[in-house]
Amino acid sequence: MKSALLDGIVLGLQYGLLGVGLTLIYGLTGVLNLAHGQIAVLGAVVVSLLMGTGLPAVPAILAGLAVSGAVLLALDLSVMRVVYRQEGETRILLGLLLMLGVGFMIDGFLAWRYPIEQLGLRIGGDPISILGVRMSTGSLLASAITIVTGLVLVAFFRLTSLGRGVRSVIQDEMGARLCGVNPAFVRTFVFGLSGVLAGLVAVTRSMTGPIGANNTISFTVLALIVAVVGGLGSVSGAFLAGVLLGVVDRLSSFYIGTYITTIILLVCAALTIVAKPSGLLGRPST
Amino acid sequence: MREPVVVSGAILSVAGLSAGYVGEDVIYDIGFEVDEGEAVTIIGSNGAGKSTLFRAIMSMLTPSAGTVRFDGSDITGLATHRIARLGLAYVPAERHLFPQMSVTENLLLGAFPDRPDPAIQDSVFDVFPRLAERKTQDAGTLSGGEQQMLAVGRALMSKPSLLLLDEPTTGLAPLLAAEAYKALARLRDDGLTLVVAEQQVPLALELASRGYVIDHGRFGLSGPSEELAGNPEVQRAYLGVA
Amino acid sequence: MTAVDERSGRVGPSVGAARVVGQRLAPYLPILVAAALLALIPLRYRDSGSLMGVATEGMLFAAYAVAFNIIFGSTGQLFLCVGALAGVGGFASAIISDRVGLPLLVSIVLAALCSAAIGGLLSWVSVKRALDTIFIGIVTLAFSLSFQNFVLGRRDLTGGETGIFVEAGSDTLLHDRVSPYYVFLALVVGYLVLYRTLQRSRVGWAFRALRDDQLAAELSGVDVSRYRVFAGTLGSAMLGLAGALQAHSGRGFIGPSTYAFGDVDVRVLVMLAFGGIGTLLGPVIGAASLTWLDELLVDYAQLRLVLYGAVIVVLFLGFRRGIVPAITDYVRTRIRR
Repeated sequence: MKSALLDGIVLGLQYGLLGVGLTLIYGLTGVLNLAHGQIAVLGAVVVSLLMGTGLPAVPAILAGLAVSGAVLLALDLSVMRVVYRQEGETRILLGLLLMLGVGFMIDGFLAWRYPIEQLGLRIGGDPISILGVRMSTGSLLASAITIVTGLVLVAFFRLTSLGRGVRSVIQDEMGARLCGVNPAFVRTFVFGLSGVLAGLVAVTRSMTGPIGANNTISFTVLALIVAVVGGLGSVSGAFLAGVLLGVVDRLSSFYIGTYITTIILLVCAALTIVAKPSGLLGRPST
Repeated sequence: MREPVVVSGAILSVAGLSAGYVGEDVIYDIGFEVDEGEAVTIIGSNGAGKSTLFRAIMSMLTPSAGTVRFDGSDITGLATHRIARLGLAYVPAERHLFPQMSVTENLLLGAFPDRPDPAIQDSVFDVFPRLAERKTQDAGTLSGGEQQMLAVGRALMSKPSLLLLDEPTTGLAPLLAAEAYKALARLRDDGLTLVVAEQQVPLALELASRGYVIDHGRFGLSGPSEELAGNPEVQRAYLGVA
Repeated sequence: MTAVDERSGRVGPSVGAARVVGQRLAPYLPILVAAALLALIPLRYRDSGSLMGVATEGMLFAAYAVAFNIIFGSTGQLFLCVGALAGVGGFASAIISDRVGLPLLVSIVLAALCSAAIGGLLSWVSVKRALDTIFIGIVTLAFSLSFQNFVLGRRDLTGGETGIFVEAGSDTLLHDRVSPYYVFLALVVGYLVLYRTLQRSRVGWAFRALRDDQLAAELSGVDVSRYRVFAGTLGSAMLGLAGALQAHSGRGFIGPSTYAFGDVDVRVLVMLAFGGIGTLLGPVIGAASLTWLDELLVDYAQLRLVLYGAVIVVLFLGFRRGIVPAITDYVRTRIRR
């Protein structure tokens, strides 16, 4: 029970980070990135391939994250331009369908070229006991990286000029323009950031289990669930929902069984939408 | 093009400006100049084209004709955020604050992308002490009057050389409106160049040294404030004098 | 149509009656033509079991696409659970007939009702809570994936990963080589007639008003929410029916990928996008084209998903309304010239 709880928190922090990337892009542009998991796994596969050539882990990981970020960044600068010219429902629908298409392309590409390529980062060292629960070094390192990243993100959004600029565009794009913020730049930046975060989640997940082409859809779905429960567009909501759902995930697979777990998470998302579409911490839609 | 374009000392000069929405102009052939340190008002009723004029100046919509020069350079069609960074600040009637950010954060964004100047923030709090009391409160929870103060304060944070204000008294009770104008007068006295679009004509004419009347998208009367205040047409249309 | 109008002054009373019938049937003429053409396909491929299988699957997907077109194309409800609703029909019918032992026809009808109930509920909830497109999409996607997990998890009912062979129907013409094709063709024709009839009814008028402008539709007294739920329920029943028939036909095998999101919804979406959302024959043309393309690329199966993705991106970027409207427009401008 205690270990399931702790496991859930570790997992949940990573879920949260996965959701943040999705929620940021949606809040900013109304584009629901249904290729989020694919982009994450793409990064992990790149890391695995590079490490296969003998490159040390750290530069390989940095390169993988760069690829994940670059793919989304490139999408913002190309295909998404068409989406930004639309308004309202049309924009949302077009963004969602285009990203679905992009997701299939990446999925197909991975299944075609690298069907069995998997990233599994084995972190050496003996398990360490925390609160009476023995945790593997891999999962501790993964949590540490995730927590640090989360804190850096919070600091970035609160304390830096660019971070505040991002939030300003999410809340009132015209107001942001009048303050001298360039929304197009913010969008490109956030797409890149979201890609890097997605890649990072795939990399940290690989510290506790292998990540490959068959993880894409489940990553996307998790990101979606987390973002919805936290409130689309809310960064802190995504983290809260991530931890909450991580705990629900571990507890239900501990007590009930694995196939029910995903269903429970999905039902959580569906119920959130039906009960309070703005999510835990989201603002009511305007 | 009533006036020939001359390179003058004017900080803002608008010439032959026409603009509108979906192919239909709302303002036609607008031309005027504002000198440094001046307070100018543009008076007109609802829908006369005041907001459209400001939006066209700020490139929030693309003019169909005409030019806008600011501080000696042509800014027609320049991206809105670039215009803002040049020191032309605009406070729209809808304010466009960031509702889920604190008062302080809203002010800090006013200085974007530069590092906010604490001295300027202090001077904003000096003009609007209410904002200092509400520093940590989210902008969305402020009252209408406080939101207006914040909108002006945020614009001031960029050290603008010209401030455009669209109906700063929208939604304010008469007492608060008078108070808002007192603050604006103080800014004017400190040397800030102001252009105020207003329906509350008495307040605006008191603040500004001269004004223009806009009606159905065209400039009509113009002149020193006292002259406009004494004009029977203005009195009948905007001052409620029978 | 114009030719008939020009002649209208000269026609006698008996011809007039024929004309009325003709006018009534005219809107259904494209369906007749399409059905006649599609009916010819087995003449060429009847000797090959595998090609007939492909063609039959093409018809199945055409049925899915027409049903989805009623839900999404007509009332803008983004149901990302086409496969799941069909799967509910398929597995329900298999369970009802094989486990409970009810007659085949009864179980198929009950299965379709199950799908209708679920789809109707999804539609009703989204209307009641006034959900945006994006939230309808997420809720239905959540249902889709839950169903997928259910299928994988409840081995006792669904066979889990290995799937199940459905007994019922194995002694009917659904297990022939050629006849299933005609069964599904008949289903598609029926769906198309239904779609056209709906389009021409008051309901269809409401649908169109809805698509153009929800507010205007509401102001003109059309009960928008009722028609949404109606379309959601009807379309889901149609999906369930097609899915159930699928379970009993061919080899009689259904597994987790038979109705999976990645295998059904993706293709239906591409078919509809390709053919043209909200058009009569678009879904059928889309289904036929994509089935043909699939068969061409049969040796590059892994590339298929890449291609689907690319088709979605290109279609939505370039021809947002699909091929049929694009061609219609082109022909129209040509004729005017």
